[in-house]
Amino acid sequence: MRYPKECVLKECVEAVIRPLEPGDRPLMEAFYNRIPESDRWFMNYDVMDPAIMDRWFDAVEKGSVCSILALCEETVVGQGSLYLRGFGATSHVGRFRIVVLPEFRQMRLGTWLLLDLIQLAMDRGLEMLRADLVAGVEDGAIEAVQKFDFFKFAELKNYVKDIHGNRQDLVIMVKRLHKEWSDF
Amino acid sequence: MSDPIQKEIVRSTPVGPIQIRSFCTPDEIQAYRFDEQFGTHAQYKSIYTKRETLEKHAAKKDANVVLALTENEQIVGFGVFSHPEADERWMELGPGVMMEVKAVEVSRSLRSWRIAGDLVRLMLTHPKIEQMIAYMVGYSWTWDLDGSGMTAQQYRNMLIRLFNPHGFIELQTNEPNICLKPENLFMARIGGEVSDRLRQDFKWLRFGVSP
Repeated sequence: MRYPKECVLKECVEAVIRPLEPGDRPLMEAFYNRIPESDRWFMNYDVMDPAIMDRWFDAVEKGSVCSILALCEETVVGQGSLYLRGFGATSHVGRFRIVVLPEFRQMRLGTWLLLDLIQLAMDRGLEMLRADLVAGVEDGAIEAVQKFDFFKFAELKNYVKDIHGNRQDLVIMVKRLHKEWSDF
Repeated sequence: MSDPIQKEIVRSTPVGPIQIRSFCTPDEIQAYRFDEQFGTHAQYKSIYTKRETLEKHAAKKDANVVLALTENEQIVGFGVFSHPEADERWMELGPGVMMEVKAVEVSRSLRSWRIAGDLVRLMLTHPKIEQMIAYMVGYSWTWDLDGSGMTAQQYRNMLIRLFNPHGFIELQTNEPNICLKPENLFMARIGGEVSDRLRQDFKWLRFGVSP
């Protein structure tokens, strides 16, 4: 895919999307420092842990994670990551996670990152895309992905706890990546 | 536009030489036969199934209809380059600023002989090409995936490879029809004489915002 890609958000704010590069470590640390702890809580890994960050950059280098950044000027304002299994029963399924700075939410940035991740998944021949989202916390994201034909594949009732210990439902959203159109 | 210079190139194929000719007039088009393969197939319908549609486009101001013709004067490929329709977003930059590659199609039996590349090349040999923004929209539901044997993503990448050498680049837009499917494609070529102001306005227009 062609990078960098320019996109214009609401209120004419301009951003550039490009792949994560090995030298982006300081930018990423600054980015996650600005993500509220209550949001980071729902991530699968503690991104504030330097060892985790090391493994993440290694995974990007090895190709098991495709990661794209959205930058305004020199600041990372959003990140999208596509996780590839590469082996076994779920190697046809990609998982993704999008994180956006609070002040850049509701500006369509997440949508632009999602569009790119779908493209990346199709380029890699994946058949399904999956996102695990927390009901009541990530309702905006659940609504947004539905516009791209994601559907509720499963719902795990009271499965996760928020940072205060309150139970929340985990919603598994899935999109099938069709290779061609149906005859209908 | 003063009368454009009609250009012709000839491509050798297994069925004989194919003549590719730009700026075909409605009268010329009327004299040719339309290949029967431009019709409705099991899983694909040609962009234009009637020769008359090409004639109508050729009659429009500034339009460039390029045809690929056999020795028997049969149309086996066509390209249509003309202004967007009045109700389209791309008209908002002003009359004459943008032109669209509305169609590129080659008869199924003559694909893989680089005729599509010739059609694109001659479409863009337009006297105003450097003063305009040329664009193309690829709607995946119009692609002949069955005939080409490609997936939508492979077809999309093929289109990018077809247009890249002519200065087109893939661009983002929130135009609703293009956004309907992630595999849809929008590419544009900004002419060398297009002002910075128009370039900036084009960027706003692509995202449906105004400063």
